[in-house]
Amino acid sequence: MTVETTGKKNPDTRNTGPGRLLIAVYAVFAISATARAGYQILTKFSDAPLAHILSAFAAVVYIVATVSLAKPGRTWFKVSLAAVLVEMVGVVVVGAISLFDPVAFPHDTVWSLFGRGYGFVPLILPVLGLLWLYRRRPARLPQ
Amino acid sequence: MDGYFYAVLIVGLLSTIICVVAGIMKKAPNDVTILSVAAVELVLLVYLVGSIIRVAMGEKIAGEPWEFWGYIITALILPVVAVYWSILERTRWSNFVMGAVGVTALVMAARMNQI
Repeated sequence: MTVETTGKKNPDTRNTGPGRLLIAVYAVFAISATARAGYQILTKFSDAPLAHILSAFAAVVYIVATVSLAKPGRTWFKVSLAAVLVEMVGVVVVGAISLFDPVAFPHDTVWSLFGRGYGFVPLILPVLGLLWLYRRRPARLPQ
Repeated sequence: MDGYFYAVLIVGLLSTIICVVAGIMKKAPNDVTILSVAAVELVLLVYLVGSIIRVAMGEKIAGEPWEFWGYIITALILPVVAVYWSILERTRWSNFVMGAVGVTALVMAARMNQI
């Protein structure tokens, strides 16, 4: 822990207040998505390579989001923004494809059916993430 | 679904409700919320010990053994991390973080029952 992470005094952080809850939920998803993707790729990769690559991709997105939200500074803000946007696009696109063309995704991923298997949290999470990033955006901070 | 699942269900939900209510009331993490998370940890520990005994008695885990153990160990780590975090930053948001533990433990226990 450096002086930068003392929380409320430094506005250029996202790991305080509601942000902590957000990071916690992202961390849980990062762990579960990584474990699931690792398991799928190790045991039944050949069944559905695309779905399993997608699982791995989702896991990486969650890891990047968790780490970048926890770090202070502008660069990490941009990384957070990119990760959350990718997540949002991912869950919407994959959710839509899995709904209209179930054959393309016979195997479940975190984002299938808009994250139904995970209580739709994957769909809500990027919205909350964007709201939080908007409230803590660097432009509003004193230079 | 076995007894362990229902134990996690009840304790996990109670803990989540206590923590979320405390968070809504704008309270900082206190003994009650931290103890409720500790109760979740305790139930999970009993689950772990019970599972070790059952496997030692020769009972087979329905699914992949390492998947089951992976789940239970991860579930055991979560409450510890949440409490540690809530002590680092004592705001009402930490109560919501701890509230998430109960629900997560519940989901993981449901999954462990399937395995």
